[in-house]
Amino acid sequence: MSEHRLFRFPKPQWLNNANSRTAGVYIAGALFSLGFYFFIDACAFSKSKRNGSEIHITFIDWIPGICSALGMLVINSIDKTRLSADSFSYSGNGVAWKAKAVLFFGFALMAGGLAGSVSVMVLKYVIHEYPLQTLWFGIANVIANGLIMLSSVVLWIVQNMEDEYTYNLAL
Amino acid sequence: MAGLKTIIALSFVLAIGFLLVILSSALWKKYYTLLVVATYVVAPIPNWLCGRAANNDDFMESSGNGIVDFGRFLTGFLVVMGVALPAVLAHCHIIANLAMVMSIIGGFLIYGTIISFTMFFQEDEEF
Repeated sequence: MSEHRLFRFPKPQWLNNANSRTAGVYIAGALFSLGFYFFIDACAFSKSKRNGSEIHITFIDWIPGICSALGMLVINSIDKTRLSADSFSYSGNGVAWKAKAVLFFGFALMAGGLAGSVSVMVLKYVIHEYPLQTLWFGIANVIANGLIMLSSVVLWIVQNMEDEYTYNLAL
Repeated sequence: MAGLKTIIALSFVLAIGFLLVILSSALWKKYYTLLVVATYVVAPIPNWLCGRAANNDDFMESSGNGIVDFGRFLTGFLVVMGVALPAVLAHCHIIANLAMVMSIIGGFLIYGTIISFTMFFQEDEEF
């Protein structure tokens, strides 16, 4: 197993611990929630009395977040062991190829969400030179999508960790 | 382990938590902060439900593990929601800033009580 290492530094030992795996899932949920509530905060602020301008959050601002969440759903609903399955062993008919195609779709959705949030911020708020109070809608959107992406990364790492863990149990 | 003293201390902490949350809502006559209590009471439920749904018998079957992870994900989501909800409400001037601080501290006390209570109970039943 250790001869197939790619990097110079070995993976730290605590990463294979079952407890750190559990903590990683909790952290992923917390990060997703944090991102979601950054965006909800912008939406609620847009409709509250403190918002002095006539600029409001519309459906356009929601689209990047929806794309990111869908991408996260797609990426994490794939069984990671199917990715490394040999095409000529028990998993015939190119299961690994299909899994990679769906994964590509998920990553495209997620990257599109992040890029879309930046483009909404620039096109809707930055080039009109609104004050910071209104610019916050765009900034919160970018923060929300970045946190959803971070949460998905944490979940991905955790699920790869799980495979190593079950492998050690099997030995 | 879970003696009489811990139960008394836990109920005391729970009462302080409820006191803080109810004060934060009743002093300003805005009852939105009671949602924090609801959130923290609901928070451990996905963990329990998904822990029941998974089969602990076979380690190699990875199909049962996904639903446990989903339950943990939802629990993490709800715990952060308990902090984020008063912050959002305070940012929009629906509740006062002091009410936000009081409800967050009270919510943490309530959730800490729930978590430590389940920990003590699990230690008793473990075999």
